[in-house]
Amino acid sequence: MKILVPVKRVVDYNVKVRVKSDGSGIDLANVKMSMNPFDEVAIEEAVRLKEAGIATEVVAVSAGLANSQETLRTALALGADRAILIETDVELQPLAVAKLLKAVCEKESPQLVIPGKQAIDDDSNQTGQMLAALLGWPQATFASKLVVNADKTAAAVTREIDGGLETIEIALPAVMTTDLRLNEPRYATLPNIMKAKKKPLETTTPAALGVDVAPRLKTLKVAEPARRSGGVKVADVAELVEKLKNEAKVI
Amino acid sequence: MSEYVAPLRDIQFVLKELAGLDQVAQLPGYEDATVDLVDAVLDEAAKFAEGVLSPLNIPGDREGAKWSANGSANGDGPGVTMPAGFKEAYALFAESGWTALQSDPEWGGQGLPKLVGAAVTEMWKSANHAFSLCPLLTGGAAEALSLCGSDTLKKTFLEKMTSGVWTGTMNLTEPQAGSDLSAIRSRAEPQADGSFRIFGQKIFITYGDHDMAENIVHLVLARTPTAPEGVKGISMFVVPKFLVNADGSLGARNDAWCVSIEHKLGIHASPTAVMAFGDHGGAVGYLVGEENRGLEYMFIMMNAARFGVGLEGVAACERAYQRARDYARDRIQCVETGVRGGPRVPIIRHPDVRRMLMSMRAHAEATRALAYVVGAAHDVATRHPDTATRRRNQAFVDLMIPVVKGWSTEVGIQVASTGIQVHGGMGFIEETGAAQYLRDARISAIYEGTTGIQANDLIGRKMAREGGATLNALIEEMRALDADLGQASGEHFAAIHRRFAAGVEALAEAGRWIVDTYGVDVRAASAGATPFLMLLGIVAGGWQMARAALIAQAKIDAGDTDPFYQDKIVTARFFADHILSQADGLADCITFGAPGVMALDEDRF
Amino acid sequence: MPILVIAEHDNAVLKPATRNAISAATQIGGDIDVLVAGSACAAVAEAAARIAGVTRVRLVDAAHYADHGAENLAALVVANAPGYSHVLAPATAAGKNFLPRVAALLDVAQISDIVAVVSTDTFVRPIYAGNALATVQSVDPVKVISVRGTAFEAAGEASPVSVEALAAGPDLGLSRLVGRELTQSARPELTAARVIVSGGRALGSSDNFHSVLEPLADALGAAVGASRAAVDAGYAPNDYQVGQTGKIVAPDLYVAVGISGAIQHLAGMKDSKVIVAINKDPEAPIFQVADYGLVGDLFDVAPALAAALR
Repeated sequence: MKILVPVKRVVDYNVKVRVKSDGSGIDLANVKMSMNPFDEVAIEEAVRLKEAGIATEVVAVSAGLANSQETLRTALALGADRAILIETDVELQPLAVAKLLKAVCEKESPQLVIPGKQAIDDDSNQTGQMLAALLGWPQATFASKLVVNADKTAAAVTREIDGGLETIEIALPAVMTTDLRLNEPRYATLPNIMKAKKKPLETTTPAALGVDVAPRLKTLKVAEPARRSGGVKVADVAELVEKLKNEAKVI
Repeated sequence: MSEYVAPLRDIQFVLKELAGLDQVAQLPGYEDATVDLVDAVLDEAAKFAEGVLSPLNIPGDREGAKWSANGSANGDGPGVTMPAGFKEAYALFAESGWTALQSDPEWGGQGLPKLVGAAVTEMWKSANHAFSLCPLLTGGAAEALSLCGSDTLKKTFLEKMTSGVWTGTMNLTEPQAGSDLSAIRSRAEPQADGSFRIFGQKIFITYGDHDMAENIVHLVLARTPTAPEGVKGISMFVVPKFLVNADGSLGARNDAWCVSIEHKLGIHASPTAVMAFGDHGGAVGYLVGEENRGLEYMFIMMNAARFGVGLEGVAACERAYQRARDYARDRIQCVETGVRGGPRVPIIRHPDVRRMLMSMRAHAEATRALAYVVGAAHDVATRHPDTATRRRNQAFVDLMIPVVKGWSTEVGIQVASTGIQVHGGMGFIEETGAAQYLRDARISAIYEGTTGIQANDLIGRKMAREGGATLNALIEEMRALDADLGQASGEHFAAIHRRFAAGVEALAEAGRWIVDTYGVDVRAASAGATPFLMLLGIVAGGWQMARAALIAQAKIDAGDTDPFYQDKIVTARFFADHILSQADGLADCITFGAPGVMALDEDRF
Repeated sequence: MPILVIAEHDNAVLKPATRNAISAATQIGGDIDVLVAGSACAAVAEAAARIAGVTRVRLVDAAHYADHGAENLAALVVANAPGYSHVLAPATAAGKNFLPRVAALLDVAQISDIVAVVSTDTFVRPIYAGNALATVQSVDPVKVISVRGTAFEAAGEASPVSVEALAAGPDLGLSRLVGRELTQSARPELTAARVIVSGGRALGSSDNFHSVLEPLADALGAAVGASRAAVDAGYAPNDYQVGQTGKIVAPDLYVAVGISGAIQHLAGMKDSKVIVAINKDPEAPIFQVADYGLVGDLFDVAPALAAALR
């Protein structure tokens, strides 16, 4: 069975982002970029399925600027067999990415697509679900455990839900989005980094896939959240409880 | 909280813009080392350093390597247990292929350039100095074996050492033979089967025993019965912890035991072993290369090891700088200087703290630039098709290895100490973490030849012996750059030009004096050896910072808005005013200072 | 045009996050319909009908909605979406699961996790883990929105509106619930906890540490942490330690009890959303980072706080 893993190039999770002073967005100039952490988990799961003899091929796909190639090379170094880059300089929103992935799925016919549950830049948490909907496939979001049935026609997925876990059985082909507890991604080995350079990486475009990727949401401004207003002293327990309930709204 | 973050931006700048990664990637055999591949390697190495090695640095220091009388794997003898997590980290390190980065592809290595190895090694050392020594020593031992060992020895050991399944050591020092290796007494007795039995005690053996690998390959210096006295009678032997069967499997335990480990100021997680060879009938050893050429062979790995230790200086600067910077941003003390009243501010606002941080940063960048440039020259010297180019680069490498080793590590200590100072009282508290860098950095200026040994090597073998030719060629190159600096506009470049021009002339004058004096009064020249090493380090560091500033300006002129370039120019200017400005004083100290060093009678001390 | 809010429930009880979503719908303005889809969930529909701001409740009761599977639920919402200007759901695990399916099937963008309503088509949502707030405008005919509950008041009670039954959609049969494993009331793990109660050396003993902090932690549903000083003194186990050399935490609420605020401790918790400090020394550095400081004897304050919260 073939597995498709969408990966996204995002600001490294260690970077403390800065809002541009003109409020037009986040200052991304010269900021360290990495693979979205949830996508690393997704690649890891796919590669483990291949190592276990369940999957036959792992295809990584990314959409965006040409430098998303670096992220695809990382995916290849982690064990993906080949990669597809959908190159565009249009700002891609989840619906557009889902449509692009649908077009790729129609060509590639994977049995399982494993996106990360969300990208740590826009925090949308939509693409996997949207892709499943567009394909009319079942979905299993926020997965913490995956067991593919022996005949590979279905899978049992344990999902992280509010208050605990639930296990669902889904028919394949399907989309499963990863949560962090699904696995612990490996480090790429040096020989695999070297080999990744030689693995096939195919480039296409939204136009070639016949997808309109025009954004549907307009970002009017980006602002920093309000700073901590430190040092307020309260007189007694009653005032503290009142502030926590009504001002901070944390209890 | 200050976690190590690999300084990839500066590393990449130095690799590409100063050290010429592109040219290195054109050398025969290095075609794979393209910029995008190297970026991918650096990214992953950074992840490993930050995610696996750095978190073990403080716990490793606190727990330390432990020796016990029945600490061997099966309890049949003494042995060393590593701090928690090291064994697993090492296994992952080896599985990930990091031990093989620079190694010969014939034995499973990736054959990447030393320049790339330098960048990756710096990260290991910043993240965890104690850990980094195990692969460093293994790489050195494997290099010596691959250059000097017989085919049988290579086949037996190199694949496993390259993959990191086995580790390696260098056994030189004996209690009476420290810096003076001519005093080595360990014996090697020839056996009928062509092997030798080794007897003797070695001390200060880094990773002489540990539980991270299934075998340890000791390279041991010893004398055969017919050997002449002194350095010309020393041979090198391979003495594995476990003998290796013909099929490559492990055989009997060899008579090579770690009988204790040292209690040290720093690098607590790195076991520094006292090794006893032959206490129970003789340790089986195999001659490497020819008899009596052991010291020569050892110097092959010594040069690589000295370069590696020099990177410890870079690494110490970087790590100490990061922690001090993070602390200075967070720590709020006193109101802004020159302001009455007002809120208390983070100490990074205070000029003296700022000066300390700039000094740390400038030293980190300058030592890195110089070390990588020397690493690239090594690659050119070994691989370039043109003989003259190879020779010229080799001469430069030979001249600069003692400087990379001596200057960077002395600076590393100084910067780690400044890092503590930035922390104030908290810096003196172990829990803060700044003190460990100083304790760990302290050894770097000692092992693989003290700074004094480096300085004597520099002024004797590397300068006086050839009449200062390589140094003079370097000075000419510096003067050419200074002419470019004179053409650059702006206040920063005016300052850099002024200090650099003076620094180069101070270097030239002191260099001339050393070469001239060495033949007539070697003691006077030697009295100025270490100051000269520091002078050359400062001026060469300033040379690289000035080059960096010019490149940065060109980028800015071409419309690049990356603030990195503006920062680079400012840092270069700081280096010029605060560090290069010491060159004149050092030159005076060299040319006028010998009488003050030597005049007192020994019994007046 | 009216707004459709999808209720979250377990077939017996309406989940409170629904009230926050209704409150967001109220801010957008217009009639508000609540869709309750489930199995044997009439009680939920009745509860929804009593929420202030709701115009009417639409109830779909069929076995194949019992487990709220995303595929069936999304198809049902899409079938009933025509005529609505906005479709809202709480940004809970359940809401995040099905709502993007709705948006995709409607061929519109989803606006995730909104924290403010600017106008009928413009909303504020956090990006980069809350390090920035984006104001976004939707150009789609229908706005599909998930609502961050903590950013909107819970809508209150009002006199009940009508509950109207809707026809169920088909069972797509794409997935099947095997089982659920819901966490019991055990204390949350430190680094994952929403609320942390942390104690320092001022607690004076291991017995005090537990007897004073645990009731407070129970009242808040909180994990328990400790300063290094408290751990070193043996009042709390090692894995409780919050700080530079311990665990790094960033809960919504961090209550520091008898912790002076050494730099190493602050390093481990200064990214908490709200910090409360209880300390008898008014000059303790912890107060510099605390949103709410209460100067007082922790042995009086902590039990009183626990009692007030219970």
